Amino acid sequence: MTDMIELNQPAEDDHLVRDEIRRISKSVHARRVTTSRVMMVLCGVALLIAAVPLVMLIAELVKNGLPVLNKAFFTTEPQTPTLIAPNATGGVSNAIVGSLALTAYASVLAIPLGILVGVYLAESSSKLASTLRVIAQTMAGAPSILMGLFAFSFIVHDLNIGFSALAGSFALAVLMMPVIIITTEIAVRNVPNSLREAGLALGARSHKVSLRIVLPSALSGIVTGAILAISRAVGETAPVLLVIGGGFTNQWRPLDPVSSLPLSIFENAKSQWPSQRLQVWGVALVLVAFVFVMSLTARIWASRKQQVRN
Amino acid sequence: MADIQSKTAATESTNRGPIAMQLRDVAVSFHGRTAVRDCTFDIAKNRVTSLIGPSGSGKTTLLRALNRLHDLTPGAKVTGQILLDGVDIYRGNITVTELRTRVGMVFQRPNPFPTMSIYDNAVSGLRFNGIKKKSLLDEAAESSLRSAALWDSVSSRLKVSASNLSGGEQQRLCIARALALDPEVLLMDEPTSALDPVATLRIEELMTSLKSRVTVVIVTHNMQQAARISDDCAFLLMGEDRAGELIEFDTTEKIFNNPVDSRTLDYTLGRFG
Amino acid sequence: MALIPTDLHVRDEAVAEFNSATADRTWYHFVLLSGAILFGAISLGFAGTIFWSSLPTWLHHGVTLLTGKGWSSPNGPFGGLAMIVGTFETSIIALILAVLIGLGTSISIVFLLPRRFRNIVATLVELLAAVPSVVYGLWGLLVLSPWMTVTVNPWLNSWPFAKFLFGNPGQEFGTSLLLASIVLGIMILPTFVAVSREVIAVVPQDLIEASLSLGATRWQVIREVVLPTAKVGLFGATFLALARATGETVAVALVAGGVANAQFHLLYPGTSIAAWIALTFGESQGNQISALMALGVLLMLLNFGLSMISRSLVNRQRKILAIV
Repeated sequence: MTDMIELNQPAEDDHLVRDEIRRISKSVHARRVTTSRVMMVLCGVALLIAAVPLVMLIAELVKNGLPVLNKAFFTTEPQTPTLIAPNATGGVSNAIVGSLALTAYASVLAIPLGILVGVYLAESSSKLASTLRVIAQTMAGAPSILMGLFAFSFIVHDLNIGFSALAGSFALAVLMMPVIIITTEIAVRNVPNSLREAGLALGARSHKVSLRIVLPSALSGIVTGAILAISRAVGETAPVLLVIGGGFTNQWRPLDPVSSLPLSIFENAKSQWPSQRLQVWGVALVLVAFVFVMSLTARIWASRKQQVRN
Repeated sequence: MADIQSKTAATESTNRGPIAMQLRDVAVSFHGRTAVRDCTFDIAKNRVTSLIGPSGSGKTTLLRALNRLHDLTPGAKVTGQILLDGVDIYRGNITVTELRTRVGMVFQRPNPFPTMSIYDNAVSGLRFNGIKKKSLLDEAAESSLRSAALWDSVSSRLKVSASNLSGGEQQRLCIARALALDPEVLLMDEPTSALDPVATLRIEELMTSLKSRVTVVIVTHNMQQAARISDDCAFLLMGEDRAGELIEFDTTEKIFNNPVDSRTLDYTLGRFG
Repeated sequence: MALIPTDLHVRDEAVAEFNSATADRTWYHFVLLSGAILFGAISLGFAGTIFWSSLPTWLHHGVTLLTGKGWSSPNGPFGGLAMIVGTFETSIIALILAVLIGLGTSISIVFLLPRRFRNIVATLVELLAAVPSVVYGLWGLLVLSPWMTVTVNPWLNSWPFAKFLFGNPGQEFGTSLLLASIVLGIMILPTFVAVSREVIAVVPQDLIEASLSLGATRWQVIREVVLPTAKVGLFGATFLALARATGETVAVALVAGGVANAQFHLLYPGTSIAAWIALTFGESQGNQISALMALGVLLMLLNFGLSMISRSLVNRQRKILAIV
């Protein structure tokens, strides 16, 4: 005890150190404060710079795309302009029909299986589960063109189905599945354990607890994940580019080639006809509007369910 | 009226010697809602002053006003006067950075910087303030680690990450870190509440030895600790308007044995949390 | 690409208990397991078919693919050097742009913006990340490209090292590697900001208060305490953004110029692995398809490697903070 007291007896030269510290600190103070202010301003500038492309992009989309959107745009099939009729572009009904078909088929393929695997990952602690989890996370970040290559090899070539909506849907389904798996697993894991325990305590068997209690509770999270996956699939060009074949008519049958909204943008962006390039802005606007609405819906839904839970 | 009289009477009755900090009608509010008010007392030099009271009474809020930590919080407003050596820390001729080198703080949970070594943690305050001279840094490191009773156990491994220390050692490192700048006042916000009893005891011993070097102001919810280590005591309590207020300030001896206010007596007898 | 949450509130012990407490195998478990196995098969098929299709190229022309400068349809030789160079060049420049601006942006969001704006900004970042690649490509092609040709390129060509960096003036085109790099940078910025903001925001308030109490200025707190504490996670964000940049197909296909010349001059047109596959697959037959599949294998390995590094870094960051 006495050792401690001795540690802190003030010595004669103590204040010399303190004075030197104070002296140096006073001399650099102004510079430190200025540096801090400058750096914080630079960070703010970075934020503004980051915002600029978004603002510009949306402005261009609305400015160029809005005028193009009329009834004919949505309901007629496309035409190729000619020298006599340089503005005869027709509409994009083929792409709309195609996108709807592709998304529908892909959802049917991906969502049930994705949910199954997501639930499996949430409820199993086996080696298979942890491996599949890593696989799902890896594939979620994989370049989407690889899905197109896969669909080409498998559907178009091996199964000899050729360029078709089915091939495109397959590629999109492979794209959507990892997203659904990951979000479903999170949703199921987030169900409070107390619910599971309550169910078991009432004598229900574990699988009934999962089906009747856990899954309904996780439903909103699962739906959010599905919305996000669909939103992503609608906007993808690369996976379908290689395998759907395109076309100008309102085709939707699984074994026929189809078009899609992003594909029509890709094809016509470099068109020699200004009227077609202008129409492309309209398609882009529709696409972006759709994706924004889906993302916002998912976000609002998720946060509202979170509030209810809290 | 009677309250103020009794408070100032208490302040004048004992001559505590030179004063480190003075509080006059200090109040802190957040977005208009008062958290603590009516704080008027003097913190005497080289003594341990404790702020006690049940939770919610505003002790920590008051402590944080003393090194202007509320500047960080949007919507926070500090009224009244807080004087350090006669200078108003909010409105006077002193910068926030200078204030914080003269009034240091130790927090409830030990929080050494995880990416820094023991040595770097100890001298981090000096480095922030622009001191680079190795001899000065070394001297401050050794001096502060000795003062925190940590030197013997860490001098051979100064370059080791601070995360390797035990909870009690980490807290003493945080104390050393604050002491390295040789502040006049050391604020401690429930410094032992996250520690085991043995570590707590060692730090209480440390605090007693520190007061010859610095003035200590400590917030504690542990009455016995306050009774053990502090010289002066400020008792705060939450009023009906849910704002904390200073009920009584006096020497620890008087607060615990012969308080003026009945509420103080109730608290020290453990009649409410 | 919508951002996918990757943090799992894992309660492994509870899950194991739940499963073992009632260890009866029913049709429920059978269905789940079948689904899992099916997914496993699909993912194996995914990697497997691409590898398999590319095998002829690797066996006979592997070296050419990696080092050859020219790509001749339809029968070869298929030299992939241009694509490899293009991929690295555009991705790295995009990464530098995204990290410089993204770091400042994240710091602003966490330390400069008032609390109520943070949710709005987080939503905006998510929306930005969801904009389809083809729309960025369109905008880059029809808006950025003309602007660059008229305003930026002449200015760039007046720089001291212009010839070295940018190539001979007059040879440049509207679409170029630089344009692709810029568009890519804009595209991966939201990804980087989303992860880095999260990593910076969870640095404990304790540490920030402690450093302020020692007299540090705001910038010192950020530079000496917050960023070093978040360092590992920030690297994770970097690798994630890089992974995304390497995989971007359509935007690069639209604005890089689509020319397979293995050079690095920024204002010349070029291509990337993914873009080249997208552009040439349509008219390809047998041998070329196999060569494109081989490029796909390269892309897969690159992307998976970067993803894996990113994931392990983000996990390590989580562990660091758990100790704090």
